[in-house]
Amino acid sequence: MNDYSNQRGHISAQFSRELEGVQSELLNMGGLVQSQIEKAVDATLEGDSLLAEEAIDLDTEVNALERSIDEQCARILALRQPAAGDLRLVLAVIKVTTDLERIGDEAVKIGRQAILLSEGGAHDETGIKVRSIAMRVNTMLKAALDSFARLHTEGALSVILTDDDIDEAYLDAREWLVEFVEDQPETLRASMAYLWILKSLERVGDHAANIAEQVIYLTRGLDVRHLDSAKVRDLVS
Amino acid sequence: MGSNATIRRRRLSSSRYERIRSLAMIGLSASMVSTVLLIGSGLFVLLVASAGDWLFLSSGRLDEGVLDRLNDVFFAKPNLENGLTGLFPAIVGTFSLVMVMTLFVAPLGVATAIYLTEYARDTWYTKLIRISITNLAGVPAIIYGVFGLGFFVYGLGGQVDALFYAKRLPSPTFGTPGLLWAALTLALVNLPVVIVAVTEGLDALPNDLREASIALGATKSETVFNAVMPAALPSVFSGLILATARAAGEVSPLLLVGAVKFSPSLPLASRAPFIEFEQKFMHLGFQLFDAALFARLPPGGLGWVACIALILVLLIGVLNLIAVSLRTAILKRKTFENPF
Amino acid sequence: MFEQLNEIEVRPRVPEGDSLVAVSVRQLSLGYRDNPKALKDISVDIPERAVTAIIGASGCGKSTLLRCMNRMNDLIDGVQYSGEVILDGLNILNPDTNVTALRRRVGMVFQRPNPFPKTVFENVAYGLKLSGGASTRELEEQVEQALRAAALWDEVKDRLDDSALKLSQGQQQRLVIARALALEPQVLLLDEPASSLDPTSTFRIEELIYELKQSHTIIIVTHNMQQAARVSDCTAFMHGGQLVEFGQTETIFTFPAKRETEDYITGRYG
Repeated sequence: MNDYSNQRGHISAQFSRELEGVQSELLNMGGLVQSQIEKAVDATLEGDSLLAEEAIDLDTEVNALERSIDEQCARILALRQPAAGDLRLVLAVIKVTTDLERIGDEAVKIGRQAILLSEGGAHDETGIKVRSIAMRVNTMLKAALDSFARLHTEGALSVILTDDDIDEAYLDAREWLVEFVEDQPETLRASMAYLWILKSLERVGDHAANIAEQVIYLTRGLDVRHLDSAKVRDLVS
Repeated sequence: MGSNATIRRRRLSSSRYERIRSLAMIGLSASMVSTVLLIGSGLFVLLVASAGDWLFLSSGRLDEGVLDRLNDVFFAKPNLENGLTGLFPAIVGTFSLVMVMTLFVAPLGVATAIYLTEYARDTWYTKLIRISITNLAGVPAIIYGVFGLGFFVYGLGGQVDALFYAKRLPSPTFGTPGLLWAALTLALVNLPVVIVAVTEGLDALPNDLREASIALGATKSETVFNAVMPAALPSVFSGLILATARAAGEVSPLLLVGAVKFSPSLPLASRAPFIEFEQKFMHLGFQLFDAALFARLPPGGLGWVACIALILVLLIGVLNLIAVSLRTAILKRKTFENPF
Repeated sequence: MFEQLNEIEVRPRVPEGDSLVAVSVRQLSLGYRDNPKALKDISVDIPERAVTAIIGASGCGKSTLLRCMNRMNDLIDGVQYSGEVILDGLNILNPDTNVTALRRRVGMVFQRPNPFPKTVFENVAYGLKLSGGASTRELEEQVEQALRAAALWDEVKDRLDDSALKLSQGQQQRLVIARALALEPQVLLLDEPASSLDPTSTFRIEELIYELKQSHTIIIVTHNMQQAARVSDCTAFMHGGQLVEFGQTETIFTFPAKRETEDYITGRYG
């Protein structure tokens, strides 16, 4: 099968460098948003508003990277007329920058809620739930970026399949939180903050799954967006 | 700055030897061309001067007018003593000879060239034929004369006489040198020239032309007739022009196959085919040859020889002019682009 | 061929109305003295009234394959071929085939414009006159029609009696197309038709191809991949005399099935 791989260079070394450049900048951006999320979640769990500020500030850099990468992609499309795998790479990169930028925005939202919580009302039980989901989402994101870097189809597939679990975990956590608030209504304000945080984490999971879908488009030429996971698994195997 | 100047200087004087050599080449070619031109024009001037001298200035003829003199040149009766004669019959003879020869050499030469270029497969045999043709172009014309005498005059002519003119034997009709055999012999002399010229023209045509015609569903013959030949016409004419000049000037074969010094009548007739093919005829080149070598010319007679030569040159010029105008007229009508 | 596509496709495709096959090549192999394996066992179905591009590196056999469709390869000394090329149910490689009739139904345009050194009118009428019998009036109509179809009529209608060699390169190429169209062929073979033209003329020819494909089947050989991508519906990639891949142009250029195809298209080739 003609899976896309980066191993063979172009006759035009310049073109190879441009493609590699755009890929590595994307991975930089991925690393940045990863640390954004980590910082924001840690800020929540530790009540550290300074850490939260750091997470929020990183967003400027992330947005700048989005613009820069998209510009480079437009340039490659105009000047190089890439075809086949190279074309899919550029298209995937453009899509992924959007998802990464949104992840960054979610991190900002988490950070803001973290600041609110640090002023008072944090409770450990919810914190535990948040930590658990956050860890899984982090792993997802890391795996998605990793599968992009290594152009690993199976890795991407497992990320997509994990998203169902995250969605489920989110719904469970939300149910639990609703009961928690019914029990202790004075924690409403804080609980709402936690709810937003959980929602953001769930969205991050969705974006990570989107990234994985782009990886599959890149390596196999299959557009698996908006399909249920069972169908995706069938198509990819 | 300094390094740039050094580079430029180095490039120009790449090698002093080479510069000297190219200058020498240019100088040599220029001087050769100018020498040829000088000699050519010098000869022509000499010719005109001699002829003029004979016509207008020779001693002992001052009592005759210029017009009388000119009339003599063309229409005087043959003087058996000193070899002078009117040249008009020779002009007619030369002209008819060229016409009849062209009639034979054109279709034969063109057809052969077309066959060799378009139809023949590239085997050792066809290569041999091509080489032979080129070699034939270099064979001295007198040999063609000998061949013509043996094959045409005695061979074919003898047969024709035996078959059709038996009553007149032993006096030969066609079994003797005459216009027809002379024309055929010269046709053979010129055949290689025409074939080579037309072949060159055909080879020069890009293969695109033939492919385009074939791709439109034309057969080989249709392609040759409709696409290739029209495009090769200029080269056909070039070949014929060369042949014409040679026919008018080539003398040695004619010695054997048909030309005579004095002929009682022109080789023309008043009814079809308007040409008397079995007659001997007078020929300018022949006259020139004879006058220069054998006649007992009067004093100043070299001017007479110059006259003949001048008229011959002019006749060739006229024939060429006719051919060139014909070519231009045909090309203009078809609005070709002349690759030559 | 078409089977490969169905395995990969996920998105619903716009259905092409009844893709009939115009020319069917079956196990075609061809060789001649200098190149005994010019074509190796090629099988492909060329769809009707669509543009099929044949791409590949120099010497891969694309022109040779094209020339099989109108038996122009017969002009090569010592050519031998096996297999079938089926047009309208008949194998045109059969020695009994009426080759001149075939070449009227399958027209060809070459790389460099090669109009005859005749007038514009005579060029277009050349093929028509060969079949003979048409009156002058009919000829004039057919010539005009062909020139219109080649998008050249307006530019030459006042110059029909001028030498064809006076036209610009781009016009000459369109003239040559008109010349081929005059015979109303079923299939049009274009052998790198725009490679000697400037970009504007190239785009004009491409526009022309787009219009012509509504009524003709077009097969175009090109070494310009972007042109193949712009102009064709299906693309065949050849390498070393073999057909490596054949499919919808969109698929070939976004996700080809074979590594060699991808390498060639993305410029990793060589």
